[in-house]
Amino acid sequence: MGASTGPASDRARRLQRRTLLRAGLSALAVAPALSACRTRTHDYGTLRIPAPDHPVRWGLSKRYPVIDSGLKPKAGSTLRIYNYADYLSPRVMKDFEAQWGVSIHLSTFNDADEALTKIASESLGFDLYFPSYDSVGKLIQADFLRPLNPDYLPNTANLWHSLRDPWYDRGSRYTIPYTIYSTGIGWRSDLIDGDPSTLANPYDAFWDTQYRDNMAILDDWHTAMAMVLQRNGIDDINTTSSKDLALVRAQLLDLRRTMNPQVTIRMYTDMPAGQYGLAQFWSGDAINMPYYLPKNVDPGVLNFWFPPDGKGEVDNDLCVCLGQGSNPVAAHFFMNAILDDKIAGQNFGYTGYQPPLKQFTPSTLVDQGYLPENLSTAVVQQGDFKKGFPLLELPVTADGEYHQIWQEFKSGG
Amino acid sequence: MADSEPRRGVGHRWLWPTLALPGTIWLLVIFVVPLYVVLAILFGGVDPILRQPVPVWDPRSWDFTQFDFVMGRIFGSDAYFRPALIRTVLYVAAASFLCLLIAYPVAYFTARFAGRWKGVLLAALIAPFWISYMMRMLAWVNLLQTNGLVNKTLSAGGLFDVHVAWLQGHGTTVVLGLVYGYVPYMILPLFAGLDRAPVSMLEAARDLGASRWETFRRVTWPLSRSAVVVSLLLTTLPMLGDYFTNDLLSGSPSTSMIGNLINNSVLTPGQTGQAGAFVLIILVVSVLPMFFYVRSTRYGDEVAS
Repeated sequence: MGASTGPASDRARRLQRRTLLRAGLSALAVAPALSACRTRTHDYGTLRIPAPDHPVRWGLSKRYPVIDSGLKPKAGSTLRIYNYADYLSPRVMKDFEAQWGVSIHLSTFNDADEALTKIASESLGFDLYFPSYDSVGKLIQADFLRPLNPDYLPNTANLWHSLRDPWYDRGSRYTIPYTIYSTGIGWRSDLIDGDPSTLANPYDAFWDTQYRDNMAILDDWHTAMAMVLQRNGIDDINTTSSKDLALVRAQLLDLRRTMNPQVTIRMYTDMPAGQYGLAQFWSGDAINMPYYLPKNVDPGVLNFWFPPDGKGEVDNDLCVCLGQGSNPVAAHFFMNAILDDKIAGQNFGYTGYQPPLKQFTPSTLVDQGYLPENLSTAVVQQGDFKKGFPLLELPVTADGEYHQIWQEFKSGG
Repeated sequence: MADSEPRRGVGHRWLWPTLALPGTIWLLVIFVVPLYVVLAILFGGVDPILRQPVPVWDPRSWDFTQFDFVMGRIFGSDAYFRPALIRTVLYVAAASFLCLLIAYPVAYFTARFAGRWKGVLLAALIAPFWISYMMRMLAWVNLLQTNGLVNKTLSAGGLFDVHVAWLQGHGTTVVLGLVYGYVPYMILPLFAGLDRAPVSMLEAARDLGASRWETFRRVTWPLSRSAVVVSLLLTTLPMLGDYFTNDLLSGSPSTSMIGNLINNSVLTPGQTGQAGAFVLIILVVSVLPMFFYVRSTRYGDEVAS
């Protein structure tokens, strides 16, 4: 006989229901108590968005003071660095550890959105972070950054003159420039027919069906969408126009339907491995490609195109000191170290991303064997920053619209 | 005697709840609390500038905007999430079926015919667990590259011109990746179930004139059905939330699954709450077969008793 039949089990069921009902009522009673638990929100006032024609000098942090001059890193302490993967030379870190007796703990992220999500939790204790300037405004206005003490940063004298007092941080109160890069097109001449650089509009190559299943675009919403805007001759790659965004949406969905692109940031390893022949590329990744190329493949097959008139996307990444870290002195020392000519050269040799230091020019980089002649187009020059277009922080509403288009594109619907 | 009965009653009343306490606390900590956090984020707000989620703990203040947004993109006219959900069901169904097709004979052979090799075979079956899932998938990336070993083998040493772009957004590659990744999780519970089946019943069936096939169909298979359900649950549920296999073996939006939608939403400022809606969908979808399993095992127990 079934154990769960009969009046006894009916009574048990009624009891269970009664218990459930009681539990539900208890939960409701807890609700007012829960309302007392509130998560801190930020009161920013109006979001200030720096741009080349609207330079910004940020006020000092209310939470984090500038550190005193003349201090030394605490021996035995840990410097926590938060950066993209493969974006900092292990040798540079090791040498720093040996020199100052600190240990470095490196954590990595895939994109700036992910990084911002984790930094905003304020619980991870990172000392140094490497953002692009399109998130500097948010970081400063949310009061996450510690203002820098320039006494610790004498190597800023090695920087390009134009980046010593940048528009996104007048007076360099919170940032030092880390690397510079352009965004263009990379391809392997042994894996695709034709030369995209000879097309009237090279960006059209990404919609050319002969390259279907043989191409990739960057898994970075703004960079990918900026490429669509440039394809259509729209130089304002930070546009908030609904018409422009509708065009971007239509062409991205068309790209996905007709070309089946990979959406990734691993092209610097995937393309050398022969996974595809055409990809949207950051110049630093293009410079990195020969390192990952199999030995039996001639590096001469690698190509990088950036608009010869300089009207393409150029950006620079930064290094900032997060207030949540507990080792700000070591953080300042590390920032100064990566602006040293020799250390920056070692770092460049590993990452492929060029530091904006005076000694690095296309000819010196080719002469010193950092990159082959056929990839010299990937070297960024000071003039590129005068003509090129930077990705800027977007107003909140436009930011939401961009992200929604990207979400639709990536969901594969 | 009359005095001792109530005391026994009190002891009886507290014994089982006390024994259940550690399990209940564990369940609360690892399931109910995180689920409530997910709900507080899903129905919570968004920081105006950082676009980070702001959880709202009081259900009376919950805002259903994000949930409605996701539902609108699944069931509404602008249903761009729907294909990813359908794709997930198809991929997971195909992968689970293939897993069963591979795992059942392996488990059956190990349980019935391995003899003194049973220990070695079991160790071999557990071996994949020693290597991280990520590393096993990364190995496939090398093998499946256009100039990788798979294409080289298919080209028979250069005899044929084979340039299959396995990693360029093919559903087949993702399904096979899922099968490869999850098949060990299916073999072990199947082995446990088949190994437990009484040999005397199989012998009785043969003695009564049943052929090998009939013995399998009328005795082995019904006896192993609950093990099959358990093993399917063990593999299907993690597959539903898997995003890594797809990211690594495809990287194309055309093969996005619900796990990828969750991953993308979590990492996108302003969309984190939407990930909660997808988690709820997975929860509902996975709870239904779980109820089916519990009911079927209860029914089995009742029949047995």
